[in-house]
Amino acid sequence: MTDFLWLLVALPLAGAALNLILGKRIGEPRSGWFGFGLIAISFVIGFGASLGFFAGTSNPQTIYLFSWIPAVGADAAILWDPLSALLTMIVTGVGALIHLYSIGYMHGDDRYPRFFAFLNLFIASMMILVLASNFAVMFVGWELVGLSSYLLISFWFTKPEAAAAGKKAFVVNRIGDWGFLVALMLIFMTFGTFDFRTIFENAPAMFGVGAGTITAITLLLFVGAAGKSAQIPLYVWLPDAMEGPTPVSALIHAATMVTAGVFMMARSAVLFELAPVSAGVVAVVGTLTALLAAVIAVAQTDIKRVLAYSTISQLGYMVLGIGVGAYAAGVFHLTTHAMFKALLFLGAGSVIHALANQQDMRKMGALRKAMPITFITMAAAWLAISGMFPFSGFWSKDEVLAAAFARGGAWLILYVIGLGVALITAFYMTRLFAMTFLGSSRWDEGVTPHESPRTMTVPLVVLGLGTVFLGLFNTPARHAFEHFLEPAFSGVEQVEGLSIGLISTLAVVAVIVAIVGIIIGLRRYNTEVLPDETGAFWRRALAAFGVDDLYGRFLVAPGKAVADWWASVVDPKVVDGAVHGIAKGAIGGGERARAVQSGQVRWYAAVVAIGAVALVVFLLVLGGGF
Amino acid sequence: MQGGAWLPIAFEVVLLVGALAVLLVAVVAGRDRRFWGPAAGLAFAGAALAGVLQWREVSTSGAGLFFTAQGVSFAKSPMVVMDGLSAFGAIVLGLVGFVGFLAAWDLVAKVGRRGPELVSLLLLSLAGLHMMMATPNLVVIFLGLETASISFYVVAGFLRRQKGSAESSFKYFLLGSLASALFLYGVALTFAATGSLTLYGGNSIRDFFSSTIVTQPGILLAGMALMLVGIAFKVSAAPFHQWAPDVYQGAPTGAVGFMAATVKIAGFAALARIFGAGLVSQVDTWTPIVAVLAAVSMVVGTVLALVQSDVKRMLAYSGVAHAGYILTAMTAGVAGVPAMWFYVSTYAFMVVGGFAVLSTVSGSDSSKVPLDDLKGLVKRSPEMGWLMTFVVLGMSGMPFFAGFVAKVFSFVTATAVPAPWPANDHGYLWLVVLGVVMSVVGLAFYFRIIGTMFSTPDDQAELQEAGLPVRFAVIVSAVITVAFGIVPWPLIEAVRDAFPI
Repeated sequence: MTDFLWLLVALPLAGAALNLILGKRIGEPRSGWFGFGLIAISFVIGFGASLGFFAGTSNPQTIYLFSWIPAVGADAAILWDPLSALLTMIVTGVGALIHLYSIGYMHGDDRYPRFFAFLNLFIASMMILVLASNFAVMFVGWELVGLSSYLLISFWFTKPEAAAAGKKAFVVNRIGDWGFLVALMLIFMTFGTFDFRTIFENAPAMFGVGAGTITAITLLLFVGAAGKSAQIPLYVWLPDAMEGPTPVSALIHAATMVTAGVFMMARSAVLFELAPVSAGVVAVVGTLTALLAAVIAVAQTDIKRVLAYSTISQLGYMVLGIGVGAYAAGVFHLTTHAMFKALLFLGAGSVIHALANQQDMRKMGALRKAMPITFITMAAAWLAISGMFPFSGFWSKDEVLAAAFARGGAWLILYVIGLGVALITAFYMTRLFAMTFLGSSRWDEGVTPHESPRTMTVPLVVLGLGTVFLGLFNTPARHAFEHFLEPAFSGVEQVEGLSIGLISTLAVVAVIVAIVGIIIGLRRYNTEVLPDETGAFWRRALAAFGVDDLYGRFLVAPGKAVADWWASVVDPKVVDGAVHGIAKGAIGGGERARAVQSGQVRWYAAVVAIGAVALVVFLLVLGGGF
Repeated sequence: MQGGAWLPIAFEVVLLVGALAVLLVAVVAGRDRRFWGPAAGLAFAGAALAGVLQWREVSTSGAGLFFTAQGVSFAKSPMVVMDGLSAFGAIVLGLVGFVGFLAAWDLVAKVGRRGPELVSLLLLSLAGLHMMMATPNLVVIFLGLETASISFYVVAGFLRRQKGSAESSFKYFLLGSLASALFLYGVALTFAATGSLTLYGGNSIRDFFSSTIVTQPGILLAGMALMLVGIAFKVSAAPFHQWAPDVYQGAPTGAVGFMAATVKIAGFAALARIFGAGLVSQVDTWTPIVAVLAAVSMVVGTVLALVQSDVKRMLAYSGVAHAGYILTAMTAGVAGVPAMWFYVSTYAFMVVGGFAVLSTVSGSDSSKVPLDDLKGLVKRSPEMGWLMTFVVLGMSGMPFFAGFVAKVFSFVTATAVPAPWPANDHGYLWLVVLGVVMSVVGLAFYFRIIGTMFSTPDDQAELQEAGLPVRFAVIVSAVITVAFGIVPWPLIEAVRDAFPI
């Protein structure tokens, strides 16, 4: 089966190309089914090739495709190990469901085939990123993911907000990419290759724990991860990215793009092991991100924005997992989160669809009867993300928190904050759930909600089953998931396990916290009239504490000013203007036109002359000519 | 020697004969381009073929020096060199020239009776450009430079009735003359310091350095600096770039691609010849200044490209930035030649292809090409729109396009050799970091072009179909941009042998 792995990239790519070129001819529903089919086949291939890892009979292998830039150890090759197998299944599995869902959701859009072309392109980019056997190819995938997400977020580019959101996502991600790029250069200078296996095998021998080079590399890698995985301070693009079509939000925020950073750090686990300082920074930033985003989520009124901030918050948990050295736990949370967050987004999309594009939760309520399937599946996702036993989110979140607890010492602070975030999470998710499905109906006049078509509900049900049962793969009693991932983290020490008694205690504490959050939420929001939420805290949290505004005032505006200044001072046209002005004063208006022409050339010649003199002087100084 | 004594100068001979043939055919058979066009095409193709034969000869029998003038005391030196650099340059110049000629075909139709003159000028300029890289003699380099430059001055002003064209030609002439004078002064000072005009061969500059310790290098350094100014001007490296946007904008669009691409090829080859090979012993002195030129070019080119509203000006400034990236490779000294070749040979095709598209959009005889002209190009002409997208992605350095490989190659090269200033083992790392940052910043305007092409057109008018030769030129450029991005290895292997002796 591994012989066919190249199809994982080729099929979505072919789908993108065909939909782009022939989309109009293929027609509306068919181009969607075509895109979905290719991704489904990819999933089957990925699943089939992973069977060996489930059975524990295969070893990680590198599948060579063709030579790309051999001089830097950058071949087009696939590193097929449990980690990439897992991500492959998530990306193609959840991706296929989102394709299926989009067939119904995008019905009637003018650029229907193009949407599926972009979705396919996105999957292809993700597969390049995930399957890469070296940092160079990974970076190629990384950039392509950025590009295709830009295309998807600003898919409705005629909406100014969507166009701006796409641009913002692109720009913020570039900051992260910059960190990643510099990290790559450092890696190449240090190891002389981009190849994962060579680097990870040599690193522990070349450097002791805490080596400066590795710390620098890992911190820069984290800058890259923070951009893609929306961590402080680069998270600001994600809430705005909600302007894209809802399936895009599900695809980008749940299964794929945002997890790329976590995946990249998990892939580089060996390096993070060698850099405790970086790991500490990662853990702290992750925890703070989780906290900040959760608090902001509490006050949001737009259903998709709540989910956006909750995504940021959950990503914080995953990053915390990486930071405390519980890589398998972090990846496990990534997996379960992919399920329940995709479900939440698709469910939210179903609700928005039913209410004629209403996104404001204050105008929802009492949808339980009208949309039974959406209601039940959303309920599962709600309990999962709240950390309710025995739903998947409980197991994975608990795993991360337990790892932080096991480290002891100052890490306990992170554990306590993490637990607090769990309480807030349970509260705001209950708020979302109650305001949408329970209480009294506050719909706009003339809106009659209805259950969504089959193509939209089937993915909900499939994801719902995953949300309920996936967690059972990895309980403290049976660490199937961690054993599955073990070959990918060989050479990395996992955090020591706690005793079963202590684990149970922690679990009970976590469940109590979740129940408390849910009860507070239900008492407050499962009512006929919504509570008043216009106080100072609510207003500030709704505005995300003005971080965007702050960035706008202190980063964007000065940047713009500098750019304008550059443009106006250096731009020859304006320089000409100055010359023109001087010439006008000296020669007089009659010869104005001539002055402009000769002045320009004279000015250019002067610059050439000045440059030549500068060059001569520079060389003389350098060469000791004086 | 196979191919006889003519092989080392076959490239120039073919082109000169071609130029004369075009003029003669036009007189004898008539000025219809169907008569003399094939002759011109044959000349370009023949020149590329001559390059291939030279390449084969060099790889089998080795490089050599030719046409040594006997009996003249101080000029007892070879006039022609045939080695990897000149042979590879001949191939690239021949092919780019051929594609550029095809791209100018619509312009040729527009200028009507004066077509033969235009094309023979292009042929002549190409011969001059190759002279710059196929000689060890500094004076011959200057002659080649002038042959090409004067041809280009005329081409830039070929549409003399258009104000923009005439103005750009005049500007180019004035500033080009200044740069040529500075270059010649540099040659003179170098001669004064070393007593030789030849880079290698008998009584050469290289011999001088191997037998002499220079204690008072002032004159030599000034000479080197001025020669560098001349070359930097030709390749439009900042701060000697100001002519480029004006000339690109004013000159007829159909011919700009040819001019911009070929002059860069020859300029960088001459840099490799003079500084990389001839002044190899002074490498620690001149690489820092090349690095500074590279840095300034990258920053100035990128930042100013951001604020342009005319696509031709934008591509001109992008060319300044690209000159910076190519100079980055040359900071490794002669070791940077392969990366330089890879970059300049792929970039040349992007330039030709890009301007060919612009000439189909705004007219081959246009001067200004406002960005709005590209609006909705993908809708109006999917073929041109997509090909232009590939070319622009190539320029922007997107992975899987040749520009990306070229940049990586260039950056890796720049950090491979220890740098003298500031002294360290990692080469010009600061320059590479700056280059990466500038590449990222530059994406903004490349994507602006692409975004404009994908937007909805104001009017649904279909683009007037370009002639077959022009379309062919664009397709070749786009294919090369993509092909060497995905499978760069054959070209990387080839440029490894394209060294000067």
